[in-house]
Amino acid sequence: MKFIDPHIHCVSRTTDDYLFMARAGVVAVSEPAFWAGYDRSSAASFADYFRHLMEVEPKRAARYGIQHYCWLCINAKEAENVSLAREVIKLIPPLLDHPLVLGVGEIGLNKNTRNEITIFEEQVEIAAKHDQMILIHTPHLEDKHKGTSIITSILKNDKRIKPERVLIDHCEEHTIRMARDNGFWAGLTIYPVSKVTPARGADILEQFGPHMICVNSASDWGESSPSMLVDTALEYRRRGHSEREVADVFYDNPCRFFGQGGKWKLKPETSI
Amino acid sequence: MPHSKDVLEHQYLEMRWRTLSLAADLDRIGRCENGPQTLRNDARLQKLRKALEILTSDGGQDRAERVQMIFSDMTPPPK
Repeated sequence: MKFIDPHIHCVSRTTDDYLFMARAGVVAVSEPAFWAGYDRSSAASFADYFRHLMEVEPKRAARYGIQHYCWLCINAKEAENVSLAREVIKLIPPLLDHPLVLGVGEIGLNKNTRNEITIFEEQVEIAAKHDQMILIHTPHLEDKHKGTSIITSILKNDKRIKPERVLIDHCEEHTIRMARDNGFWAGLTIYPVSKVTPARGADILEQFGPHMICVNSASDWGESSPSMLVDTALEYRRRGHSEREVADVFYDNPCRFFGQGGKWKLKPETSI
Repeated sequence: MPHSKDVLEHQYLEMRWRTLSLAADLDRIGRCENGPQTLRNDARLQKLRKALEILTSDGGQDRAERVQMIFSDMTPPPK
């Protein structure tokens, strides 16, 4: 089977992970800009990071037959430094026409602070002004419900934002309705520890239905694994869902979401 | 739709293991200095106790969502 990991931080992974993904059938990935494991000291560090995302990782991925796309932004964690964040935001608009840049992301909230909200709103403005798709980071453990509520309210109140061109990521049982009931795509991030497991991911797909859901591993600097994507697909298959149904979630859905921007080359293999 | 007994058969040992892990976690805290007071008074453990009540209740098929809400911050956003 073929898979797409719609959210993975390849810059923090080894070539062994690329090899694993290729062997497991992952043919394409999208990598949102995020925290590097430490707070960067200047906007110049982000300029280099963006070049890494747009030029270096696509070449690394191509060696394993994997297509690599990316998203640009300043992440919520480093957005707490408003002056640095504004310097970084200035770097983004000239890069948005790059053929491998899918949009603005992953923007959102980390601790739901006033500064994070300010910088989130300023990056939504960039996305709206440049007609970009948006990938949203919702807080992980403290506090996802509140952060998702703030984010969806801001997005709903901006009439320029088309919800179907926004993916609200890291949804869980108590936040997925806030995403989908408002017309947004929902992302499920599957982890080996502390957050949604493959079994819970499959539960959510079954309980809420697979429409407008993308499943990802979000593998990064922390305890995480590219295998979570495939493990969730296997769990879904083990429960009796057909290969076609698995492909619909793990291949076609990312193609449907990403395909709206005109840069993503792969097409869904079935229509819904 | 699989039979509930089949799902239970598949999951039971892991469910038992998770319950035992939680019991051992609480014992470990309890053995430490001020352990009994922490077990009794810590706000996080009080939330955990509420979550366990949901796990052992009979009603509804949305236990995971209800447990999520126990651990969620319902205060208003920052001004």
